[in-house]
Amino acid sequence: MAAEERTPAIVLRARDYSESDRIVTLLTRDMGKLSGIARGAKASKRRFAGKLEPFSHVMLYFRRRPLGHLVFITRAEPADLTPIRLDDDLGKIALGSYMVELTDALASEENEAADAYRILSTALILLGEAGPTPALRQAFELKLLGWAGFGLEFDRCRLCAAPSETAGARLYFVVARGGVVCTRCRSEAPEGGFPISPASALALARIGAASLEAACANSPAGADGGVSLARFIGSIVDRRLRSIEFLDSVMPTGNGPSR
Amino acid sequence: MPDKIKRGDGLPPAMTRLVKELSRLPGVGEKTAGRLAFHLLNRPRDEVIALAESLLEMKERVGLCSGCFGLSDTPRCAICDDPAREHDLICVVEGPADLMAIERARGFSGIYHVLHGALAPLDGVGPEDIKIKELLARLSDPGAVREVIVATNATVEGEATALYLARLLKPLGVKTTRLARGLPAGGDLEYSDTATLQSALTGRREL
Repeated sequence: MAAEERTPAIVLRARDYSESDRIVTLLTRDMGKLSGIARGAKASKRRFAGKLEPFSHVMLYFRRRPLGHLVFITRAEPADLTPIRLDDDLGKIALGSYMVELTDALASEENEAADAYRILSTALILLGEAGPTPALRQAFELKLLGWAGFGLEFDRCRLCAAPSETAGARLYFVVARGGVVCTRCRSEAPEGGFPISPASALALARIGAASLEAACANSPAGADGGVSLARFIGSIVDRRLRSIEFLDSVMPTGNGPSR
Repeated sequence: MPDKIKRGDGLPPAMTRLVKELSRLPGVGEKTAGRLAFHLLNRPRDEVIALAESLLEMKERVGLCSGCFGLSDTPRCAICDDPAREHDLICVVEGPADLMAIERARGFSGIYHVLHGALAPLDGVGPEDIKIKELLARLSDPGAVREVIVATNATVEGEATALYLARLLKPLGVKTTRLARGLPAGGDLEYSDTATLQSALTGRREL
């Protein structure tokens, strides 16, 4: 029998399987994204007791199987990990669902993802403590995209490098360029572009450069900034995120006041 | 050895078909389905006919109550039609099994509303996918309902549903309450998990 391994983890999704089992996908600190089967999870109060719900922050114990990619989850404990409590507010659940689904979409099984774990756990803890804010959503999106290799640029034109604050009254977010272009360079970007105000572009630049904790204290970008991020995410994720519709009904895509 | 032997599962086709149908049931694998099929084969004919007839009768007669959307074999279920029940007190549950659990507890004298699901953002289940619109229709008559008890499960989906309902019902002026969460009967404080203890402390009551 394989040795028992352990790692801190956050539950991304879980579904019932047969009478009392659950199949769970988690983002672990040490082993990347992992899926496993928890035998008797619905019946065992001692080994799992509500620890395999989405957003649960647990010390995961598991054994690898010789064949097949699902591991055997033997138990999950809160240990001394910071608990994530989102169940007292609909906005927290909606934004938390979006965060775990986006992470699930961008992380691949068993590839190292310690930074993604740090970003997700910090964002969910902040969400539980401070509630859902447009700045937190935008900061999470920018940090996770950066981790996945998509460092978006908002502080200068991607083509002529003109700073956003001196680029005129309007910038354009171009998905294929991974950032904004100024009015003068727009004709050189055949992909077109989505109009974004310099104020929103600069707000996203500030949020992207700050730590998650500090970013939450910043003013969010306006609706145009939120839509720019949503369009970029839509272009790289190969499926429509199911939590988006619910999140948008609770917390509009605009993310913040339009400028 | 001849190499053109036709190999199957060794069962007559009628048995194979039954095993296949039984193994579609939740929690029933092919081996269990095989055991059930052999069991049925060995039972008296009238017992097997009674089972087959009850399956057909259930499928033909059982539908949803037009009042609470619980299971019923009449247009309105016995609970909705019971004049002794408090019709201004509605308990909202996720599914028929939850309704049965509360009825078994024998502590509730109101009527029900069965949502047939819960909001599940990660599965794409939204408000229009469960019977929330129907609940609002039941509350459209001002003063007809005194209190709505939200008895959805203590899961992420159940909490999301409860918070969503609270957001919709409070502006209507209907008292909206949530089932308490805390220590189970016979539970030992020492072995309780932190989330349960936190809920028990938050929901404490005066003695």
